Amino acid sequence: MKGDMYIARSSDKEILEKAEYGGAVTSLLKFALESGRVDAVLAIKARDGNRYDGVPVLITEPEEVIETAGALHCASPNISRFLKEYLDGASDLKVAVTVKPCDAKAIIELTKRIQINLDNLLLIGLNCTGTLSPTKAKTMIKTEFEADPADVVAEDIEDNKLTIRLKDGTEKEKDLTELEERGYGRRENCRRCETNIPIMADIACGKWGTTDKNKTFIEVCSEKGSDFIKEAIEAGKIKVEQPSSDAIETVRKKDEAAIELARQWQEKDFASLTEMSGDERFNYWSTQFSRCIKCYGCRDACPICYCKDCVLEADRGFVPPGEVPPDTMFPMVRITHVMDSCVNCGQCQDVCPMELPLSRLIFMLNRELAGIFKYEPGMDVSELPPLRTVTDQELSLSSVEVAL
Amino acid sequence: MDEFEPKIVGFFCNWCSYTGADLAGTSRIKYPPNVRVIRVMCSGRVDERLILKAFALGADGVLVSGCHPGDCHYQKGNLSARRRVTGLKPFLEAIGIGKDRLRLEWISASEGPKVAETVKSFTQTIKGLGPSVFNRRRNEH
Ligand code: SF4
Ligand code: SF4
Ligand code: SF4
Ligand code: FES
Repeated sequence: MKGDMYIARSSDKEILEKAEYGGAVTSLLKFALESGRVDAVLAIKARDGNRYDGVPVLITEPEEVIETAGALHCASPNISRFLKEYLDGASDLKVAVTVKPCDAKAIIELTKRIQINLDNLLLIGLNCTGTLSPTKAKTMIKTEFEADPADVVAEDIEDNKLTIRLKDGTEKEKDLTELEERGYGRRENCRRCETNIPIMADIACGKWGTTDKNKTFIEVCSEKGSDFIKEAIEAGKIKVEQPSSDAIETVRKKDEAAIELARQWQEKDFASLTEMSGDERFNYWSTQFSRCIKCYGCRDACPICYCKDCVLEADRGFVPPGEVPPDTMFPMVRITHVMDSCVNCGQCQDVCPMELPLSRLIFMLNRELAGIFKYEPGMDVSELPPLRTVTDQELSLSSVEVAL
Repeated sequence: MDEFEPKIVGFFCNWCSYTGADLAGTSRIKYPPNVRVIRVMCSGRVDERLILKAFALGADGVLVSGCHPGDCHYQKGNLSARRRVTGLKPFLEAIGIGKDRLRLEWISASEGPKVAETVKSFTQTIKGLGPSVFNRRRNEH
């Protein structure tokens, strides 16, 4: 049933050896394929064994699933756009997808826009307290951890500490906040993300609430997830026990602590944009916008920018062609088109070659709009984007401001 | 120096506010000449692009005016306008244009005096705010 919780561990020897936290996720993905529930698995794998080059892979052979075992913290591939662009939104393919909370949110927003067929997906949620940009992570490992990035075999984020494990078995640990204050640590959007447990997926899997790093805590988040877990247990693919009340309490506490930290980062990030006077803000953004080289990267990466016939294209006659930097309308329209549904995935900011603080601004606006419209993007497919919807109830609201 | 005379772009719905402005005219109600009215078929036609373009081209203020809720000829066009205007304000504030430079009003075809009042008070507000940042920048260059 939705809401059920399990402490799970794989029953597969090979998987137990290679995977972390008892290999439950890997076993579940493999079972999804074997049982014919899905045609393919979409997960992340280190390309040629390089942990700093995590790429999405589509797997159709159960034996290959194991190649995706183990968490990669220095990768944040654009899973939702991958699904939309390369798998035709799963229109005729059943896929089990591993998703971080922001991936799940992006998939839900694209589902609302009829770009992804959620019915064909099995969302295997992975709890997440942040990912790191690969290039910066490598520099950080060299300068802060004094280690060779190529020697790292695992990373972990826990209790605001970043730990790396090297191939000789040694572990090195640093305070995350200190690293982040020096410009390292997690991606900016991750620092301020409040969703650690992807309850909008079908199941949410994490390490919180387990001990000795050899089991996975699973929360069932939908009926689809519930059926799936039950079948996997019946087929003997994972062994489960009920979490103790202490374990459940631990999950809650760790989640709360991470949320609190995220809120502090939000305050800090947003203050950097709101502290300026109106004129300073205008100068700041005019300067930022004037650095744009109109590469369309932000638009192409954003899960909310789904239009086949984008108004910013030259042939739409709205933004004059052949001008760099583009007319101010270019960034202004991009931002205002997505601000009501931004899921803080950070993809736009990651891809921007000119490093405009796009996601910082857009997510800040989103938080304000979320308050006004009582709307949380990425959580519920039946909730429509607030700047693209109206309700019958509003007919009897006479004010000029929306008060919902 | 001459007193600052703001340029205001008014997007007025054909069925109500535009007719209301006509009525104000034929009734010889005086109001400031600062508003350039653009007639739209419904306030629901006004999206973020029109509003932002007006600012980018030098409007010191933008006034969107439509039928009262429940009276829109297309049922809910004005409700869309309300959401968009409400939603655009945080953006205008964040990038330094200022949320008070954008106003939404409901004015029916029979509310000639309300057209005058609205234009008067909005012109006053914009005078208080001074020229839009876009225009100040343009004048500096
Ligand atoms: S605007 Fe940026 S952070 Fe927001 S959803 Fe789009 S890509 Fe993600
Ligand atoms: S900028 Fe606007 S029109 Fe273009 S893809 Fe994004 S949402 Fe669509
Ligand atoms: S990614 Fe950056 S440079 Fe490219 S279009 Fe977007 S804002 Fe401009
Ligand atoms: S017809 Fe007047 S606002 Fe829609």
